[in-house]
Amino acid sequence: MSTWSQLSFQDSASPLMEELIMFHDHAMLVLTLVTTLVGYIILTMFSNKFIDRFLLEGHLIEVIWTVIPAFLLIFIALPSLHLLYLLDEYDNPSLTIKSMGHQWYWSYEYSDFLDIEFDSYMIPSKDLEDNQFRLIEVDNRMIVPMNTYVRILVSSTDVIHSWTVPALSVKADAIPGRLNQLTFLVNRPGLFFGQCSEICGANHSFMPIVVESISMNSFLNWINNFE
Amino acid sequence: MEHASEFVTMASFAVGSVVRRCGRLAGGAARLSTSARALGGDGMPAIIERHGKREVIGYGYNGQPNYIDRVDYPIPAVRFKEETPQIKALREKEKGDWKNLTKEEVQELYRATFCRTFAEIQAPTGEWKLALGGTLIACSLAIWVYIWMKLFVYDKMPATITDPQRVEAQVQRMIDLRMNPVQGVASNWDYEKGQWKN
Repeated sequence: MSTWSQLSFQDSASPLMEELIMFHDHAMLVLTLVTTLVGYIILTMFSNKFIDRFLLEGHLIEVIWTVIPAFLLIFIALPSLHLLYLLDEYDNPSLTIKSMGHQWYWSYEYSDFLDIEFDSYMIPSKDLEDNQFRLIEVDNRMIVPMNTYVRILVSSTDVIHSWTVPALSVKADAIPGRLNQLTFLVNRPGLFFGQCSEICGANHSFMPIVVESISMNSFLNWINNFE
Repeated sequence: MEHASEFVTMASFAVGSVVRRCGRLAGGAARLSTSARALGGDGMPAIIERHGKREVIGYGYNGQPNYIDRVDYPIPAVRFKEETPQIKALREKEKGDWKNLTKEEVQELYRATFCRTFAEIQAPTGEWKLALGGTLIACSLAIWVYIWMKLFVYDKMPATITDPQRVEAQVQRMIDLRMNPVQGVASNWDYEKGQWKN
């Protein structure tokens, strides 16, 4: 989850999120370079005493300051496109979970082998324990096994919602009458939080998502003992 | 043009240095030129030339007979002052050997043609203090508005953030859950020693 006044990404829980964070660092490096250069040029423009009334048609410098930004853009675009296609790769997930958006809660269905369904409501602030986090805790979390390729099919029963977990780099709109597919792999145990990301009415801010990642054995226990 | 020079004068007054007023005409009021060249078809002046009797000496910065001190257009279109008999005599003397001119005469000749020297044109005006001061005043007004908002508009922060017992419990839970173990909360906790890293 994000901690107080956090502006940066949450630490990743999935290999693709790691790649996205690295790409973000790469693009930020280019931005810092350009901003520093432009800032330096502005400062020297203000502080020098040069005068030139005939500063026109410098063909060589115009070629240079067109080619270098083009090169920088290619430098950013190559890893960007690489990631773009990598994010859409599909490798036969082991587990399929359906996530249905309602006003104003999520419901999860594990129907691969057994018919397991449950609703996931936010815990109201007045019912929180001392160590629970406000507005992002739910009563029934979505449980997934660790290091397992999972598919989520997202849809809705009423209005458009959006299911997301930033630490796993996934987000998909929950649209009534449509199935959107998300695939991810969680590579560490823990709790990963998200919030509904499409305006859906009065309690849009109060229908969070919590993914609990546990070992495969624990997951199988949970599935078998689900009442 | 007049406003610019008065602004400069005002700023420099605060600084205390002397700046010449160069925007006004030196000597002689504006005169409508009634020469045939300047008249339009119906007898009204097509161009109002205000340089009076000041001699036109070049193109200036746009071809109009205006005086301006500019470092990138060093020769103005018109001389700064109108010709007086005294200056006329000095101009004759200037045609001879310059060693015969005294320092005061050289300066008088210069000031007849130009209002300010390059050093005076490029001297710092102190205008930055006005700009910085104004900006900081505007920022402080914004900060006052922010303070007012915090005091009178916003609700109190929820207990989950303000109650130290709850905050401690939540942070402990974050540590137990290994939340953000790479660069976030859990990465700052030393699990072997059971304390925060430095």
